[in-house]
Amino acid sequence: MTPIRRFLAVLGLAIAGAGGTVAAAETPGVSRNEILVGSIQDLSGPIALLGAPVRDGMLLRFEDANAAGGVHGRKLRLVVEDSGYDPKKGVLAARKLIQRDKVFAFLADLGTPVVMATMPIVIEAGRPHLFPFSPHESTYSPVHPLKFQMFAPYQDYMEAATRNMVQTRGYKKTCLLYQDDDYGLEVMKGVEAGLAKLKQPLVEKTSYKRGATDLSSQVARLRAADCDFVVLATVVRETVAAVSEARKIGWNVDMLVTASGYSSQTHELGGKAVEGLYGVSVLPHPYEEGANRQLADWIKRYRERFGTAPNVWSAMGYSVADLFVKAADKAGPDLTVERFTAAMESLHTPRDFFGSPEYRFSREDHLGNRFGRIAQIQNGRWVILTDYLK
Amino acid sequence: MSGQASPQHAAAVARRLRTLSAGALVAAVAVFVLGADYALSQAAFVATYAIAGLGMIVIVGQCGQISLGQGALLGLGAYVEALLVVRGVPAPLAMAVAVAAGTAGGWLASLPARRLGGLYFAMSTLAFALIVEEALVRAEALTHGAAGLAVPTLVLAGFPVDASWSQALAAALALALAWIAARRCVASRLGRSWHAVREDEAAAAACGVDVARAKRAAFAFGGALSGLAGALYAHWIGFVSPEQFGLMLSFELLMLAFIGGARELAGALWGALVVVALPQAISVLTELLPAGTATPAGLESLLFGAVVVALILLRPGGLTASRTRGEDPDLTDTA
Amino acid sequence: MSALVLVQVLTSGIAVGCIYGLVALSFVLIYKATETVSFMQGDLLMAGAFAALALNQGAGWPLPLAMAGGVTALVLLGAALERTVLRRALGQSHLTALLLTFGLGLMLRGAISSVPAASHSMHRLPVGFAGETLQIGALVLAAEHLVVIGATVLLGAALTLFFRGTRAGLALRACSENAAAAELMGVSVARMHTFAWALGAGLAAVAGLLLAPVTFVHLNMGLIALKAFPAAVLGGMASLPGALAGGVFLGVVESLAGLMLPEGAKDVVPYVLLMAALLVFPDGLAAGWRRRR
Repeated sequence: MTPIRRFLAVLGLAIAGAGGTVAAAETPGVSRNEILVGSIQDLSGPIALLGAPVRDGMLLRFEDANAAGGVHGRKLRLVVEDSGYDPKKGVLAARKLIQRDKVFAFLADLGTPVVMATMPIVIEAGRPHLFPFSPHESTYSPVHPLKFQMFAPYQDYMEAATRNMVQTRGYKKTCLLYQDDDYGLEVMKGVEAGLAKLKQPLVEKTSYKRGATDLSSQVARLRAADCDFVVLATVVRETVAAVSEARKIGWNVDMLVTASGYSSQTHELGGKAVEGLYGVSVLPHPYEEGANRQLADWIKRYRERFGTAPNVWSAMGYSVADLFVKAADKAGPDLTVERFTAAMESLHTPRDFFGSPEYRFSREDHLGNRFGRIAQIQNGRWVILTDYLK
Repeated sequence: MSGQASPQHAAAVARRLRTLSAGALVAAVAVFVLGADYALSQAAFVATYAIAGLGMIVIVGQCGQISLGQGALLGLGAYVEALLVVRGVPAPLAMAVAVAAGTAGGWLASLPARRLGGLYFAMSTLAFALIVEEALVRAEALTHGAAGLAVPTLVLAGFPVDASWSQALAAALALALAWIAARRCVASRLGRSWHAVREDEAAAAACGVDVARAKRAAFAFGGALSGLAGALYAHWIGFVSPEQFGLMLSFELLMLAFIGGARELAGALWGALVVVALPQAISVLTELLPAGTATPAGLESLLFGAVVVALILLRPGGLTASRTRGEDPDLTDTA
Repeated sequence: MSALVLVQVLTSGIAVGCIYGLVALSFVLIYKATETVSFMQGDLLMAGAFAALALNQGAGWPLPLAMAGGVTALVLLGAALERTVLRRALGQSHLTALLLTFGLGLMLRGAISSVPAASHSMHRLPVGFAGETLQIGALVLAAEHLVVIGATVLLGAALTLFFRGTRAGLALRACSENAAAAELMGVSVARMHTFAWALGAGLAAVAGLLLAPVTFVHLNMGLIALKAFPAAVLGGMASLPGALAGGVFLGVVESLAGLMLPEGAKDVVPYVLLMAALLVFPDGLAAGWRRRR
């Protein structure tokens, strides 16, 4: 029965090994000349359209930092795992990044199920959990020493945006079209809260399933409710479908889409039909035309590196990595998790060449930004109308 | 299997030994290459998938039916577990209810079998699964709909099962129990009726086998194991949402049973290893590519698909089918 | 609910139903001729749209040529897959083919998402009529919906002529009805299998091209094929016109459900219908099933 005994021996070894990995003298992922950072992305699942540009944006920022000599002499290396939006793969990827690659921190993990499944493991291992792409509140609240978020929550900025639109434009009947997942529900909370402050009800709401082909019945439903303002909790394709459908049946109602529909793709695909659509922007789209010198140079380098034009998600990936670089730089040459999170808690970044908001973190608040700006599609591109709405 | 001539028995023992040593080898390689924590976490998922896989093997390999909706039964188990544990019900008790829910779900999914056969019945299981998924989304008051539910850590006898080694151990124990149950069922009168249905439904009916009842029992049993696997899965992931239990999971389980070999219970373990660990192995291998290259986004699913296709073509009877037997006559006929 | 709204919603329901129907048609065609349950029709649909897109935007072919090229590419791909891989699943269980096509679909999807331009953004086929509308009095109809309906009708007529009037069509039909008898009559069954896959893949590509102006070209557009199963079953699995009609029926019911039934019902309706069709008419369907075997 040697094989069985061998098997048991291996199992025993494995269990002993698992117990013994706790004590580690030096900071994981930080060596004399390298900092290792992990990221769990969706490169093959339903939101791969986000995952690929985010990853590329982060890669570009790290390469820029390395070209400039690294952070305190240490080069940055990004290890990306593909979860395909499957939380099981996410959990395994997190364990791999923690134990095998020994990453210093997790950056911009993508997708709520994956984030919810992996965050406890990351925190348990004592690694910073930074700026995940998930609208879930638990990524920044209640305040935890290792959790930081920089993306304005849908609930917060949609509350402000809805309020601003209704107040300045005097709408009486606000309606909502939403994707029936966590994203749509977060937006609904924000819109309802904004309307409640103005003592208005949400007149009608209707949903669709991710991947829905046709939105004509939803739009007809909203029209039947005689809405004068429609908030769209949609992603790019459904935004275009909903607006075109409304315009097609001659319904020129004002519509406002969340930052998930704020993309150059919206007007590239929608053309004439989406002219006049309002949207919320938390980071401006990097338009080549009319770009400042720094931005134009960035777009050129991105295109040379990845063979395709950057979009707003690439800019977000770049911003995420930029914030990491700044915090790591601030933490000083002797990088530890404690020094890093202390640096994060006092980090305050100005607006950058993308036109980003200011990100401000503190001991009490680990959410860097809560605000968005209203934008509108005019002559085939997004034009920012307001400042960040507080 | 039992009570056969001794040379055959010796061959079976030798095969089992080979399987065990191969398993030990895989485990050893995994621990050394990946690190214990990562390997054990994989083991926990492999064992959990193998539990559901055993249920699938009973349905596919023993009873000869196709289920396109097993993922939904895992979902039922996972949600029942999550909802009960959140309300303070002890985990073992909740798990019993999850198993019951899985059983009931399996039974319900098998009802169309009374009137339908073959591919039509398979389609009805697909419809069943999609309806269950939608129901989980819509029952917002209970399930929080698409926003999902956080699941607390599994606590067994006051001991929190949150480390990867304890999760692996708990999953392995559950797998052992499921294995014993499956073996008993397959060896029983019920198991023989499953085999009869698999070989030839008309002949089985002519011999007095209640075909519909046999299918119902297979689905109820498969559902019970899926419920158990779902309950464990919910704890390992710590978060359940309806889309996790969709078509993709059902197909993973179907692949698991087929690739592992649906005729043998051991196929569940091999299939689970392929379905859970192969994508991980591929991602580790793609790291060998020159550093700094942004590996193409679709590379891993391309390679995974290629391995699946190759395995189906090269080992049509599954990994556990012996090479000499080659193409298994019972699995290869168009039924 | 005014009659106007009803007509408008119905038109888009019929248009989307036509696409369901075309995918179901390609599925049933392959199933009847080769006994293979294909789970890759959605991926073929997406590949067809991307192929046309690549020829148009990448290689600079004029659009009509690129569309023809995309369909041709998929016809060749279907034939090549049958010759190399799918042939080996012939005569094996449904499950083998099901998983084999699922695996091939994964590969196809993986291969396409490896192209940076495909994984970064959605694309539009620059067809002239996209976004245009046709106005009849107060009634406004989308041009892309009318094109989808028109193209489906034309395609249906062409297929009918093909199956009734040409040697190849008759041979394919004979082969699906009774392969052994067809073989005796001098039909090369192996060649017909290749042919069926080529035609099935080509039809999926056409469905992809028709879908492109409605939902754009992107990696997840193949999800629509999930609705092809209810459509195929509603149409009786064994009948090509039935599959098409099943698809249209499904599209119409779905859009009416979205308009009239409570929130969320729209998404379950196809599967509830599928279940109902299976349970209420099992004799009719099953009888067809037995006759065919």
